[in-house]
Amino acid sequence: MSGFLTSTKSRWIVPFSSRTQARGAMKSKINPVNVAWLCVIAAALLNLLGIMAIDTVPRPDSPDFAMKHFQFMIIGMLAAGLIALPHYRFLQRLTYLFMILVLGMLVFVLMKWVPDSIVHPRNGARRWITLPFTDFQPSELAKIAYVLALASYLRFRKNYRTMFGLLLPLFLTFIPMGLIVVEPDLGTAMVFLPTFFAVLIAAGAKHRHLLIVILIGLSLTPVMYTILNPYQQRRILAMFAQMRGDDQYKQTIGFQADRAKTLVGAGGFFGVGKQKAAALVHSNHLPEEHNDMVFAVICCRWGVLGALATWGLFLILIVGGLLTSAKCRDPFGRLVAVGLVSVLFSQMLVNTGMTIGLLPITGLTLPFISYGGSSLVVAWMMVGLLLNIALRRPGFTLRHSFEFDEPVDDEVSFRVGAWRMPGA
Amino acid sequence: MDKTRFIPSMFHRRLLLLLVCMCLMMMLLGAQLFRLSILENDKWLSDAEARLRQHAYLPTHRGRILDRNGNILALDKPSYDIAVEYDVITGRWPIRKAERQARREVGREDWKMLSKQGRQEEINARIPEWEASCERLWYLIMTLGEIDENELLTRCDAIKRKVKTQAEAYRKGKREREGITDDRPLTYSSEKIAHVILPQISDQVAFEFRKLEAQLPGMFEVKSTLRRVYPLMDNTVYLSRNSLPTPIRLDDVQEIHMTGVADHLIGAVRDTVWAEDMARRPFRGPDGKIDRGGYRHTDVVGSRGLERAYEDVLRGEVGVVEENLETAKKIVSVSKPGSDLTTTIDIHLQSRVQAILSPEFGLTRVQQWQLGWESYGRPRPGMLPLGSPLNAAAVVLEVSSGEIMAMVTMPTMAMGERMSKLQRDIVRPAVNRAYEALYPPGSIIKPMLLSAAVTEGELSLSESIECTGHFFAHSMAFARCWIYRDIYNFATHGSLEAEEALGRSCNMFFYTLADRLGMERLIDWYGRYGIGQPLNIGLDLESEFQAKYRNWFGRLPDVEKIRQFRLRGEIESATVFMGIGQGPITWTPLHAANAYATLARGGTIRDATIVMAGLSEARVINREDLNLKRSVVDAALEGLRQSVMESHGTGHHISFPGGLREPIINAEGVTIWAKTGTAQAPPLKHDDNGDGEISESEVIEHIDHAWFVGLVGPRNGTPLYAISVIVEYGGSGGRTAGPIANQIIRALQAEGYLPGHHLASPEESG
Repeated sequence: MSGFLTSTKSRWIVPFSSRTQARGAMKSKINPVNVAWLCVIAAALLNLLGIMAIDTVPRPDSPDFAMKHFQFMIIGMLAAGLIALPHYRFLQRLTYLFMILVLGMLVFVLMKWVPDSIVHPRNGARRWITLPFTDFQPSELAKIAYVLALASYLRFRKNYRTMFGLLLPLFLTFIPMGLIVVEPDLGTAMVFLPTFFAVLIAAGAKHRHLLIVILIGLSLTPVMYTILNPYQQRRILAMFAQMRGDDQYKQTIGFQADRAKTLVGAGGFFGVGKQKAAALVHSNHLPEEHNDMVFAVICCRWGVLGALATWGLFLILIVGGLLTSAKCRDPFGRLVAVGLVSVLFSQMLVNTGMTIGLLPITGLTLPFISYGGSSLVVAWMMVGLLLNIALRRPGFTLRHSFEFDEPVDDEVSFRVGAWRMPGA
Repeated sequence: MDKTRFIPSMFHRRLLLLLVCMCLMMMLLGAQLFRLSILENDKWLSDAEARLRQHAYLPTHRGRILDRNGNILALDKPSYDIAVEYDVITGRWPIRKAERQARREVGREDWKMLSKQGRQEEINARIPEWEASCERLWYLIMTLGEIDENELLTRCDAIKRKVKTQAEAYRKGKREREGITDDRPLTYSSEKIAHVILPQISDQVAFEFRKLEAQLPGMFEVKSTLRRVYPLMDNTVYLSRNSLPTPIRLDDVQEIHMTGVADHLIGAVRDTVWAEDMARRPFRGPDGKIDRGGYRHTDVVGSRGLERAYEDVLRGEVGVVEENLETAKKIVSVSKPGSDLTTTIDIHLQSRVQAILSPEFGLTRVQQWQLGWESYGRPRPGMLPLGSPLNAAAVVLEVSSGEIMAMVTMPTMAMGERMSKLQRDIVRPAVNRAYEALYPPGSIIKPMLLSAAVTEGELSLSESIECTGHFFAHSMAFARCWIYRDIYNFATHGSLEAEEALGRSCNMFFYTLADRLGMERLIDWYGRYGIGQPLNIGLDLESEFQAKYRNWFGRLPDVEKIRQFRLRGEIESATVFMGIGQGPITWTPLHAANAYATLARGGTIRDATIVMAGLSEARVINREDLNLKRSVVDAALEGLRQSVMESHGTGHHISFPGGLREPIINAEGVTIWAKTGTAQAPPLKHDDNGDGEISESEVIEHIDHAWFVGLVGPRNGTPLYAISVIVEYGGSGGRTAGPIANQIIRALQAEGYLPGHHLASPEESG
């Protein structure tokens, strides 16, 4: 009987206790002064910089992109505020549901039978769902969903300390990635791998496991190259040629890269000013000048100073995010913060890298700066999530989490944590 | 756990690692930025600023081509075209307009709410009104442009077909080049622009259309363009027939309409610019510098003749308006029209000569007098049916300057365009027979040989040579004199001195001279008279083909060939045959005229030319002097004079049945020094049965080319003009080519180049 009682009790207690834990966590005190405000301030400044950059080139015959960008900034900040309100552990429960929803949308945009009025292909790419006020890119949302899912999975020790536990999410990474590659949107897809890797590192994966994952990744690179579209391959070849100073692709496949580099180089240290930058950008026919290529406009208008400001603000944002992660005691919160920081960082790296000719051209926005509704709102939602995590002062129940250990040192922590693993 | 530790845990160490990695990557970005913006700033800034300067181009026009008297042979003429938008031509335009109108009228938000079918209904309701506009435009084009519906449809279809093929090729190429696999629409520029439906409309009609532009906006354009026109290429000449040989003589004036006068010489332009043109003279060089005379896709390019040879002189330079987008400052450099090109041709003389060579005039057809009659009066049969048109060429050259005054080839290119394919393959109208076609010289080479033999000391002018009928003792049928044949009862010339030998065109005499000179000296002398030498007349053909086709301008045996002759024991026969212009020797009618001019100049060699001096500085005027003794030249000229002016000459008369004779040259007030030539020709293809094919039986052998080459000047004066006439497969040089030369001399008189009474109507000069 007692065994039965005990067992019933234990059956009851475990969920109960975890619920109280969660409830306790949710009710834990709000920490209004926290490091995530650094992120908010940096994001807001980046956003304003973006508005100014977009405003550089006058466009008499198209909508006022700078104004729209400002409107989206408000919407984005509201979204960030909303997402900061509920406790993030509440969000964690919805993670897998959210992920499935996003995957569903990613599949949906690829379906050829979906009418053009809902999914309108642009330049042959099926990325956008038409909404009344703007077009929406599910791949943007997929970044958040992916980070949440990854964090949710890797908070368990058995997952991040074993090779199999690491390989499974690696392959799971390829599902949203693959769907996004097919759209095609290589740039967004490229963000997933560095994020995955950064979260793995932060989660505490073993060094040799990391090494193996790196080796697998490297050995897959030639394979990846061969399955790329021929024009994507040519873009990569053109990039290396242009790095060597070979001009033969200047008017064809390397056009965008060449013009971006030209404008970046033309800016010099102090930049050429608004008027001249507008004239230069216009006469050099820089494609996507308010969008993917906006960093070139910044470098042209404000020179190295503008670039340093951009990178500096991103650095503040990243440091703020990492500090949020460091201050957080909950493994899910920690990993989410690291994941979000990596997403923003990789996007910034790829975008500015391709603008200055270090990476091949792909369609990828510069967070907060590039014009684009869903991109901006999603970036703000990430900041909102960071704020969410930083706002929650950890309750004492989380002090010794079952899920994640506070190791004194690696070896000891394994032993200490071993007996605490529930049903491991 | 030690909370005071700076890095409390593995997790925090890992975070730090991530931060360091990120910082390192950002430093890499920073290094690249430093390279671009600081180190290479100048380069990139100047690149970017270069594109600040936008260029607009001011059109130029091509230089004119003039004849020696200033008549305009080619010019750019402004004209108006009506070009209709491609969408209007294909019929997509009303749908596009209706859709745009529907969207606008329904409103953006409501439009989004509509179903696909609802949208289509909205669009369909608006199509008829736009279709009515199209109908109106087509009606106006048909009435104002004076074309019927079929013609309009044909033109539209032609444009659609052309654009469709081009667009397909473009899309296919682009997809392959850039690896585009999806079905995204690739715009092709020709599908977005207006295409010419009514070319060259009058100012009045253009004005009418201009007024309509406001009522039918966006459907068509009135384009003002420059068009290359050749005002005198289609031409009418009045020729009197009262000096023709009796059988076709009439006391009347014949009106002869001609197409393609001098079209081989003047050439043509094309409005497609080829990659070769772009490569030869790009508008924008690899360094980005603009060559204002370079090629852009919209240019016209000289494709043949003088238009091509003097392309760079004629084409001019466009003007450039350089606008700085930043400062809005404009720098204008005006366009420079192309220079005029003055040719040495007299277009009226050229027209007359072409009319003379036209088959409808009668001299370049097979006639009975050319074939002759048997001694008992029966007409001698010919290989070709009587009346067959013959291809011919003629050159008139001014002796003192070497200027080509007329150079005619029959048929012209324009005439060739109306031929069937088989005819074109046989006749090859694209060949300028006057200087691109090679013929064996035959007897017309004899004065050159005479001058060579005397100058080399192998013959003294008082020496006589006995004509025995055949040169080689062992063969009576081989290397014989033309008179030593059955139809002349195997007659011989007897003993002849140089002048009379030339006048009678005695083969024996010249076999002997050639034999005395030997192959090497013969080749040397012939070469100096121009055989096998390119003449730098000013058409680019020479320079281009000189390297490729060394034999383009005539052939003489080379060292290797001579070696083979020696090996085969044929050296002697080859040498003596070359003495009468047969065997391994060919030249062009222009070479013949030039060689005669050289003789008349006393041995001064000079390139014939088709453009007036001053345009081609590189031209060598006098190349060499043969240093002929006056006595030699006089003897040769005397022989040539006898040939035409004395009754024993081969170019003196045509015989008719009943012992009737008629002089070949009946022009008055002039002296003629000329030589007939009847040269063995390669087999002729002739479609006897008209079935459109050439069978083996339809190849005719043993017909000769007819030459008549000579000099003409006022009576008792010096030679002023060299004339060279060839009639392909014309048979006898005297009887076939002679009357043509006679008419050309009369044409020179009519145009005032020679004194003499010309009987023709007053309106003839055209």
